[in-house]
Amino acid sequence: MKYYCGVDTGGTFTDCAIIDETGAITIAKRPSTPDDYSVGVFDALGACAGRLGIAIEDLLVNTEHLFLGTTVGTNALLQMKGARTGLITTRGHKDSLLIMRSAGRSIGLPIEQLLHVSRHQKPTPLIPRKLIKEVSERIDWKGDVFLNLNENEAEEAIQSLVEEGVDAIGICLLWSIVNPDHEKLLKDMVGRIAPDLFISCSHELIAKRGEYERTVGTAINCFIGPVMKSYIEKVESKAASLGFAKQILVLQITGGVAPAAEIVRSPLYTISSGPSAGVTGSSFLADTMGYDNAIITDMGGTSFETGIIYDGQPLTASETVINQYVFSMPRLDVESIGSGGGSVLWVEPISGTLKVGPESAGADPGPACYGNGLMPTVTDANLVLGYLNPDNFLGGKIHLDRDKSVEAIRPLAKQMGLDVLEVAAGAVRIVETKMAELIRQMTLQRGLDPRDFVLFSYGGAGPTHACEYARELGIRHVVIPLGTISSTWSAFGTLCADILHVYEKSELLSPPFDLEYINRTFEELESKGLQQLEEDGVERNRIEFRRFLEMKYKMQIHQLEVPVPSGLLDAAGLEQVLVRFEEIYESFYGKGSAYREAGVEIGLFKVNAVGRMVKPQLPELGVDEESLVTGSREIFWRDGDELRDTPIYSGTALGTGVVVSGPAVVEYPETTVVVPPFAEGVVDRSGSFVIELDGKVA
Amino acid sequence: MSADTEIKWDGKTYPYVPSDPLHVDPTITFHDAIDRDLEPIAFEVIRYAMWNINVEQGNTLLRVSGSPIAAYGHDFNPCLLDEKGNFVFFGPFLQYLSSASGSAVKWTLEYRSANPGIQDGDIFLTNDPWVGATHQTDVCVYAPLFWEGQLFCWFANTLHQWDVGGTTPGSFNPISQDVFWEAGCIPPVKIVEQGILRKDLEEEYIRRSRMPELVALDLRAQITACNVARERMQQLIGKYGPEAVKGTMKKLQDNSETAFLNRLETIPDGVWTEQSWIELNRAGDRSVYRNVLRLTKSGNKLIFDNEGTDPQIGSINCASIAWKGAIASMISAQMLFDQMFVIEGAYRHIDFKPVPGTITCATFPAGVINAPPTVLLQTIGLAGLIISRMLYCSSDDELRKEVQSCMGNLMYPIDAMAGIDQRGRPYASFLLDPVGAALGALSWRDGVNTGGWPWDLQSTMPNVEDNELFYPLLYLWRKEIPNSGGSGKFRGGNSAELAFVLNDTESMTHYTTGGHTIIPGAGLFGGDPTSRTRFMLIKDAKVRETAAGDARMPGSLDELGGERLHIAPKTGDVVQGVDDVFSLAWTSASGYGDPLERNPDRVVRDIADANMTAAWARERTGVCLNEQGALDREKTDDLRSKLVAQRLAAANDRQAALESRPETVSDRVVSEGLALVGADDDAVYVCRKCRTVIQRADKNYKSGCIKRTTAVQEVGLAPIDPRLFIDDKMVYREYFCPGCGLLFQGDFTRMEDADIWDIRLFSTTGNTG
Repeated sequence: MKYYCGVDTGGTFTDCAIIDETGAITIAKRPSTPDDYSVGVFDALGACAGRLGIAIEDLLVNTEHLFLGTTVGTNALLQMKGARTGLITTRGHKDSLLIMRSAGRSIGLPIEQLLHVSRHQKPTPLIPRKLIKEVSERIDWKGDVFLNLNENEAEEAIQSLVEEGVDAIGICLLWSIVNPDHEKLLKDMVGRIAPDLFISCSHELIAKRGEYERTVGTAINCFIGPVMKSYIEKVESKAASLGFAKQILVLQITGGVAPAAEIVRSPLYTISSGPSAGVTGSSFLADTMGYDNAIITDMGGTSFETGIIYDGQPLTASETVINQYVFSMPRLDVESIGSGGGSVLWVEPISGTLKVGPESAGADPGPACYGNGLMPTVTDANLVLGYLNPDNFLGGKIHLDRDKSVEAIRPLAKQMGLDVLEVAAGAVRIVETKMAELIRQMTLQRGLDPRDFVLFSYGGAGPTHACEYARELGIRHVVIPLGTISSTWSAFGTLCADILHVYEKSELLSPPFDLEYINRTFEELESKGLQQLEEDGVERNRIEFRRFLEMKYKMQIHQLEVPVPSGLLDAAGLEQVLVRFEEIYESFYGKGSAYREAGVEIGLFKVNAVGRMVKPQLPELGVDEESLVTGSREIFWRDGDELRDTPIYSGTALGTGVVVSGPAVVEYPETTVVVPPFAEGVVDRSGSFVIELDGKVA
Repeated sequence: MSADTEIKWDGKTYPYVPSDPLHVDPTITFHDAIDRDLEPIAFEVIRYAMWNINVEQGNTLLRVSGSPIAAYGHDFNPCLLDEKGNFVFFGPFLQYLSSASGSAVKWTLEYRSANPGIQDGDIFLTNDPWVGATHQTDVCVYAPLFWEGQLFCWFANTLHQWDVGGTTPGSFNPISQDVFWEAGCIPPVKIVEQGILRKDLEEEYIRRSRMPELVALDLRAQITACNVARERMQQLIGKYGPEAVKGTMKKLQDNSETAFLNRLETIPDGVWTEQSWIELNRAGDRSVYRNVLRLTKSGNKLIFDNEGTDPQIGSINCASIAWKGAIASMISAQMLFDQMFVIEGAYRHIDFKPVPGTITCATFPAGVINAPPTVLLQTIGLAGLIISRMLYCSSDDELRKEVQSCMGNLMYPIDAMAGIDQRGRPYASFLLDPVGAALGALSWRDGVNTGGWPWDLQSTMPNVEDNELFYPLLYLWRKEIPNSGGSGKFRGGNSAELAFVLNDTESMTHYTTGGHTIIPGAGLFGGDPTSRTRFMLIKDAKVRETAAGDARMPGSLDELGGERLHIAPKTGDVVQGVDDVFSLAWTSASGYGDPLERNPDRVVRDIADANMTAAWARERTGVCLNEQGALDREKTDDLRSKLVAQRLAAANDRQAALESRPETVSDRVVSEGLALVGADDDAVYVCRKCRTVIQRADKNYKSGCIKRTTAVQEVGLAPIDPRLFIDDKMVYREYFCPGCGLLFQGDFTRMEDADIWDIRLFSTTGNTG
């Protein structure tokens, strides 16, 4: 039997999903092991092997691919527990990382904090000033050398960083994206002088113009480099010692995977990749289910995240903001707000209105119903309203105390002159509005109509609210993916990823465009991709290239990505690309906003080099028309503003084809699906729970 | 504003002040029905949606325009106004635009409702600084929304344009004598008539620009933004009903009013004053001009006036609409941070009483195109300082945390560049690097180096690589300036400087507009002043040759050969050649509190982080390090004692014996160094450090202080000869406690000027802190 294993290491849990060649899926969840995250990986793999009734060695010997999703690098960055890093940069520009383009004092802050200027502050420097060294050299925007690298200064800089005891050295020079010679020279010198140090060069990581974002990317890569290297090497050697002989593939922020060796060089690609696995898994499932357009939503304890699949492809973005630092790199576009189960309810004293978040009770003390404090949260509201089962929360791991929830919410009710139930229902309505608003921004602001989408919902708290925020947007179908395994959805998601390398070239071109140059540039990028994919061991017939141009009007800053057909581009083809640009422009910004007279420019070439992987076969559940009502409880429904006795179903016991008419609640081990009175759900053949809003399931 | 019947505040000669109530043509009916029993949950849901509608208006504008001025400078803002043009939400971008859009809408209601009328689907445009703009390049586009035939609300957005004509590229004009030297003013026109963009008016608008395609693109961005917001608002009203939506708008205004009044209640009545100086009224001038801002708090009212401000002149003026916006931006930042900046609630309790004919309340046809980088920004700085002084007197400790010293770049150093770019095309633009200003020191923390401004929450400097791609130049350096944030109990944020040579072009013409090249901005409560702006041309530096010869890129002015020429803060004719270097340093934020009170451990950290040099730290704070770079406590104490003794030695004209007062529970905190003790006739200002009585409460405390006067050129970082640009004799005057030498305040004045009466409390009862 062959196996495909996906392991996702999060801050709290390490999840594992294994799919065998028949399509059978096995999952397990184990606590993460922050002292050495690789331990958790094998705990989870071992647990799965146990469930399969085989030894971990037997599992790994027969594993075709081991996929890893990891937040190890992200956590090291957020906790500022990375390597002692030095940076070498162009003379005169060492402060770039500290100036942070000024925006570092507020970028990425939620609105409440953004408006409070006296609290604005730049984050702790990734690299302190004394570990940033300058060297004389200069290249201009065309790539012409203004001044050669001064190797004496370079040697001095490297030596002084070595004396400072750095573990890693980043190199980021101005315009290295058009002429990397000086960065390469420096890299060689560092390699000679200090061969044991972790080294990265900005041009190898990021191809976009903008020295600040490139410096941040390089600095982060170095900062987490040694930590990630040690983590991946431990996983590799332990896996090898257990008999695994194939490739380890690591999930990137692009939603694609890359061989471990590349991630060891460029761990930056894993920063903020947490949500990517879920989107990738959803993208695969949506495709299998025949949906071209899907809104992907994940609501956990502290945040609500959403991504978009349009026309079969996840939407992408080009910048990542983390800890008020920004780096540019293609990524899946996943936006988030601080609305989760742990978001705290409070009353604004002036207006006397109810607010939800952005403060979160986190895991400790957690919601009041956990019994560790009296912070009223969204989870407490859900419990009070009857949506959650106090004895079956997170698979029964935590018993919820409803009385504590009531006790925590009561003071708010008193302040507002409402009863506890009304406050709880109000809090849920507010949080659902916020989630709908984020989705609205992600779709309508791009010219997409949410009514043309299905909505995927997972994460511990998502399916409890999904029907309401979906309906708010006029969406008709909600999918709870693969019901029983939705709690390890990210681990499953890694199994659905393809190998993906993105190659970009940043260059400003004005009309008239040189077609030969455009074709040559694409070919150069593709040949780099081909070389890498062959190194990765991808067979020729599994290699695919996708071409894009980023375009804009003259003197504009923001560029839009336009797909370009593969093969030789001729004048007619280019004209079609220009027309497509204007179509995309108008769909984003409204009819009549395009204005060809202003002049269209090309700002970036991009090639996605894809190595298509074998995809999981989804399980086919047997048809089991029998529904399993496990009981009933009093639940609050908004339409009647009242508590009503409502049937409760066990998700794991539901067979394919079973119809659940709202009002009802379906309890899965890690999540609770609320089926409101206006909805009706059915379990499909893959085990996903598909809900139809304002209609009957077909 | 005034009882003078000669003055017509109609936006023609005098700036527009709305009638109360507005005179609107009776054909317009307003929607003003509200749901008085709006349930709190619905309020929160609608509020959240409405905020996002306005954000969406801004995002649309930002993306569709895509201009670097919007993307980096954030020189725009969207707003949502109620049916009569009162503010509901103002976006989180450039705050000083806030009074202009409301003024534009109200003027349109009063003067355009009869002819050409206001209909559903119309969109108006104006750039008239006497009606509804801060200056001519800030073009305001605004649209009414009608619901069932009634005027329901307005959307407005303002965006700075590259060039709307006039005698200089980019429209800033350092040689302007009056508005006729500048880009023309367009009083409100109906550019979109019931959904159709009027081609004739569009062409009349863009024809004046040197960059008509870009202005046309931006116009589309502004119109699209209005349409997007209008459509979403219609959906919101459709869903919740007009009364609930309007009820939410009114409740937001009311809540903000309540919050504002609650804060005022913690503050005793008084008057707080600050002044600053504008150098040169236009290119060729050699004088300085006084900008005074005074705040009176009386019960539940704040009154702002400009008594003592110099008469309008040259190119340094603004109309009072811009002046009001400048003040409102700091009211929002310091007093409405938790009310989503809903300024309308505060406006109900603020009177603006500027004296017309002055540089901050100019009458037509004064030159006003340079207002934002000069007098407007400076007024924001002054507003921050006087609001801070007022808030310090509050009995609310949390509110006191909003007290901040002067922001960096209290004038924006405009360096407008023009020439032929590396692709052979003409260009005209200005450097956006100085948006990386610096945040002031707070009453509890240091400022933020290159941390932007308090009135623009997310401005972003362009990358060096962006500028080198767009313009024919090559940066030698762009770096923070150590020591520039001065010192103080808390220091200001450091600012930065840049230098570049030309690349792929023969020459570049620079036009400058700015200030504080000689006279820095003031510190707060004894904190060091800001650093200075420095525009400089280094002739014949020959960087290409010397860099190649030395194999070294120059990293500072000291490493450059050639002749250094200081460029005046208003010039129109500086030409940089291929061998020359252009350099710009911008002003830092100022410090807070006496530098000798700075915690020495902080200073050690400042030095380790290279935010201060050891020499500067020693000179300004008296902190000495040992050879290992650790604090030398003994030497520090010794030096600090010496510095205090020097201060006290300046007390040669003070004869009276000192008396002191013990601390009591009813002491009222007035500033970092002063408290008011006792009641009524017996009330006196006392030094909080040594309890020495300084002066009677009804007199200027400064008259009881030891004074030290220093020539302006000797103050602060990078001394400069004032005779380069100005003829006035300016001094820096410091006021010390005669008991312990604590520094209470330092002011820049003319040699002959009386002491500024910066703090004056009316009631001697009130807050206890």
